[in-house]
Amino acid sequence: MIEVKEVEEPKRIPILGSIGGMYTVFKHLFQKPVTVQYPEEKENQGDRFRFRIYLSTDDCVGCTLCEQVCPNLTITMVSLDKENPRNKRKIYPSVNFGTCTVCRNCEEICPTDAIYLKDVFETARTKNSFFYSPTDLEKNEDEVRR
Amino acid sequence: MNLLTRIATILSFLGHYPAYILAYIIETLIVIIFATVVVAGMVYFFRKYMARVQMRIGPNRVGKFGILQVMADGLKLIQKESIMPQGRDDLPYKVAPLIIFIALIMGFIFIPYGPLAWLGTLTVTHSDVSLVILFALIAIMPIGELLSGIVSNNKYAVLGSLRGVAKDVSFEVPMMLSVLAIVMMASARNASPLDLNGIVQAQNIPFAILEPLGFFVFLISMAARASYSPFDMGESDSELVTGNTTEYSGLRFGMFYLGLFGTIFLGSMILSTLYLGGYNGPFVNYVGFIWLLIKTLVIVVISLTIWLSMPRVRIDKFVSFGWKYLLPISFINLVLTGFLVLGGIS
Repeated sequence: MIEVKEVEEPKRIPILGSIGGMYTVFKHLFQKPVTVQYPEEKENQGDRFRFRIYLSTDDCVGCTLCEQVCPNLTITMVSLDKENPRNKRKIYPSVNFGTCTVCRNCEEICPTDAIYLKDVFETARTKNSFFYSPTDLEKNEDEVRR
Repeated sequence: MNLLTRIATILSFLGHYPAYILAYIIETLIVIIFATVVVAGMVYFFRKYMARVQMRIGPNRVGKFGILQVMADGLKLIQKESIMPQGRDDLPYKVAPLIIFIALIMGFIFIPYGPLAWLGTLTVTHSDVSLVILFALIAIMPIGELLSGIVSNNKYAVLGSLRGVAKDVSFEVPMMLSVLAIVMMASARNASPLDLNGIVQAQNIPFAILEPLGFFVFLISMAARASYSPFDMGESDSELVTGNTTEYSGLRFGMFYLGLFGTIFLGSMILSTLYLGGYNGPFVNYVGFIWLLIKTLVIVVISLTIWLSMPRVRIDKFVSFGWKYLLPISFINLVLTGFLVLGGIS
């Protein structure tokens, strides 16, 4: 036979709980607000935060490894008329930031560290202008035509 | 010396009667402006307080520290098209917000504001029965609430107004009983216990200390009168859209909105007048008005904290709470006050 234990409910004083809740609410008045006023002040990002892809055309050897490793065809190789003895085929990666998932495979696989990512994240642009040519990838964000 | 005679002396070059008539008009205008500014300030203060309690910043874009946000909101409400439902009862639909707003603004006329420096006492109306008139005005407000719900041809509005009226009925009897205890206490010391000024002058010891039960009942009643969060059954925004104000838009909705915040301030002012000694305090002849404002502000902060910390009570629970707890408590308060008055402790 199973004995059913009767659990006594803790005795509550009616108003005390409400006053406790009110005190908890009032306590938060003196804490610092967590809101960040974005365009004027910026929160610190983590040290390992990366977003924007940069390219150094002097170092690129045109091995197309980044194009092969890119999971969603974000990187396509385009030809660029630039004298570079190490890049005889004259092909360089171009990036469509509309589909980039920032997986950082391209940075990892690049044999000459020509592709690298920086913590620039303010890359808002108009429609259909997410495509960055190799020369765009060399420039800073505010120099690129939007 | 009071504000009226002060203005009349300044205008005395016009002759006796024109000066006094003009002084009356100016004094009334001052009170109306004071009431409007205070109500707008309450909206700003509430938004800022709520934001800080929730660890946000609150309005801070329009003007310095977002002070002009309320004016911007008001302008927006004035510009908006007032959409009215089909099948409404036209006259009551348009009168209902006015009833609430005008009753609220008129309520400010009867508060004893107390003296302030050179101006003398700021009290507008010196009536022997100002307490009765004040509570009559407060009792008008539920009519606006009821009308707005039942004439706007909307089931949510009807349900909201019915809930609101059920709430009003269940707290107003205890509220008036606790006010009766105040009058009993004041009549032991003062010849005119129905005058708010007399009640303030009778409070050598604040009545909140002498009758804490009455203070408790009156605080809850004033919270229910202003119908904010634990007692916002009339609005019930999670189930009844916005209750009785569902079909209102534009300036008419703004009147209901200002009515809510104004009632909080007016209720806090009445509470501090009746229970916390009103304008009494050190240097009463110079800064009496400031004392009243400080006491009111403390009550306002307590009210807003109640608002922000409690969920809505179910309507049947509040009705049973009103009749089964508040009413007996206020009767006990009445009996205890009788003993205090007979014992001469007041």
